[in-house]
Amino acid sequence: MTESNFDPGSFQYDDIEPLPIASHQKDELCRILYDDEYREVMGIARALLKRLELSPRALHATSQAISLVPAFYTMWNYRFQIVKQLFGGDPAKLNGELDWLDEFTLNNPKNYQIWSYRQALLQLHPAPQFVRELPILQAMIDDDTKNYHVWSYRRWCVLFFQNFDRELQFSSGLITRDVYNNSAWCHRMFVLKSQFKAKPPLALVTTEIHYAKAQIELAPQNISPWNYLRGLYQEFLDGEFDSEITDFALTFTLGVFDDPNHSAPILSSHALEFLAHIYTKHQETYGRARCAYQALSKVYDPIRANFWNYKIRSLLA
Amino acid sequence: MPLLISDDRLLNSKHQKYLERHLAILPSKYQDNEANKLAIVTYALIGLNVLGVDTSEKYKSSKNWLSNHYREVDYGGSCLLAGFVPSTSINIDSIPSLSLINTLFGLWSLACLGQEENMYDEVDKERICRFVSHCQVESGSFVSSFDVTPLDGCHTSSIDPTDLRYTYAAIAILHLMGCRRSKDFEKYISLQSILANISDQACAQGGFGQYCEPHAGFTSCALSILHMLGDQWSILTPTFYETTVHWLLERQVSSQGSTTSMAEGNENYDLADHGGFQGRENKFADTCYCFWALNSLSILEDQCSARFDKHDLLFNYLLDTTQNNLIGGFAKNNEDDPDLYHTCLGLAALALRGGNFNGPLFLPKDISLSIS
Repeated sequence: MTESNFDPGSFQYDDIEPLPIASHQKDELCRILYDDEYREVMGIARALLKRLELSPRALHATSQAISLVPAFYTMWNYRFQIVKQLFGGDPAKLNGELDWLDEFTLNNPKNYQIWSYRQALLQLHPAPQFVRELPILQAMIDDDTKNYHVWSYRRWCVLFFQNFDRELQFSSGLITRDVYNNSAWCHRMFVLKSQFKAKPPLALVTTEIHYAKAQIELAPQNISPWNYLRGLYQEFLDGEFDSEITDFALTFTLGVFDDPNHSAPILSSHALEFLAHIYTKHQETYGRARCAYQALSKVYDPIRANFWNYKIRSLLA
Repeated sequence: MPLLISDDRLLNSKHQKYLERHLAILPSKYQDNEANKLAIVTYALIGLNVLGVDTSEKYKSSKNWLSNHYREVDYGGSCLLAGFVPSTSINIDSIPSLSLINTLFGLWSLACLGQEENMYDEVDKERICRFVSHCQVESGSFVSSFDVTPLDGCHTSSIDPTDLRYTYAAIAILHLMGCRRSKDFEKYISLQSILANISDQACAQGGFGQYCEPHAGFTSCALSILHMLGDQWSILTPTFYETTVHWLLERQVSSQGSTTSMAEGNENYDLADHGGFQGRENKFADTCYCFWALNSLSILEDQCSARFDKHDLLFNYLLDTTQNNLIGGFAKNNEDDPDLYHTCLGLAALALRGGNFNGPLFLPKDISLSIS
């Protein structure tokens, strides 16, 4: 195997007749000009796949094929069959496979297969550990703090291990780094809704309201904590917005409700919309709701004027 | 065929050349896309159709090549199924790489190459529907493929993701194969578990997503599914749909009013994004989310007979900001190079707003109308 582009490692492949990839087909669209490495690696890996050989050397070959075509789901599936056969109930060997996957993940952060492959490995593992998952989760979040796949995998882990201990703190850490991190805000709602069978304890909801308010003070025009705040009231407090929260929101909309033609800047259009939503709940405050929607439509959020006008029409209906 | 977008700023011939290049010879750096070949073909052909090119004529000679990706497979144990493999170059016939996603891309491409009246004559519709049926798992969601085992019956993949994209693919395939109402779909799949799964992903602030985080892409999948089923809107409340309209409209980035105060502080806010849509809160606008959000809005607006978005601003964003004036194509944003996916999605968004694109089915209307 000298001069080869296929790295045999410590294995022997001399008995394997490579399965050549078909090329130059008639009227082919998207004809890819394969290089030699591709032809050799895919030739050997596919020959092993065709035999369904479940062996250490086959595992080694799939590593090379997967790094050349990370989207080739059949090769991933073949790899999983090999792992299941060879490493089945062996925690140390399965951890070795997780090590390989960690490395692959760092090099292919946007790949679609990595996280569901990981879930399959943990489900196969006789003694999976949440702590084993934390370093790769941290590395991937550090790389892209809003990566949807990574957050979804973390939440899957939280439910799989039924371990909510560090989650609010984890979210707070990321919000401290960037108060606009919407994934970190959504994570809090996920924790509150998943951890408790019924509703979370009132003391925790109150703590979270204070937390959201404090973060809003830092950056009032940030939709994420406003959404969270509204969610807390709607999901856990029967949608009963008290005067304390109304007064809080009013501090970001000074002047709007005193003068229908007010056009000086306010601190937050989200505060105004939050108030409009509350005022829509009771007929006696419809006037204030209309005032808020008009101000949004004309001055503070004109791009959504059609929707704000629709809300005004709904008030009259 | 007519051009589906009327705006002088559209660089039609540059986009055509850009898309046609992707159907020709690709350098070896495209190797890692071998398993996505049918996606490349689909995005290029749909984009060309939007530009007014009759692809069924222009690429007529490649129809056989495309049809070679269609496979009828006997998995044993009375599993006689059919679908598409991603690439004839790397497929192994005794271990076929049939997948739900490639079957959808294959059927989309076939629609772009076929003649109107007999578009799907050469595929076995019943076997394709049975393939979809076998991809459904207990939770109601779908895997895309089967475990790699000898052909002794089909076993749903142990390692596939099962998010709403796959449910969308399942429903879209069944729709293309002729299912129109719930009872048609229920011949092959359990709708009850799908609908429960979709309801689970409805988020408090509106929109759909995994684990309480709404996402414009998943929202488009969920709403397209409900649109194709047609008679299942009651699984969620009218209030939720209105909240979702609001959530979607909030995804249109603005450089007016109070929003501008984020220019300092929010590192994912760019005044140049004005009019474009983001996929989630506090993210940059992105060409593909213009389509996903617009498709979602169009579906819901049809439900409540109203139009909310400022489509002139969206046109400006796409044509003045993400369209590439030199080589054609559309980029994700105002900084990146153009790519095929964002080119197709940008063109689809423009055609959708013009009323010439079937968003839920992701086909130009003149093609989707011929699939009766």
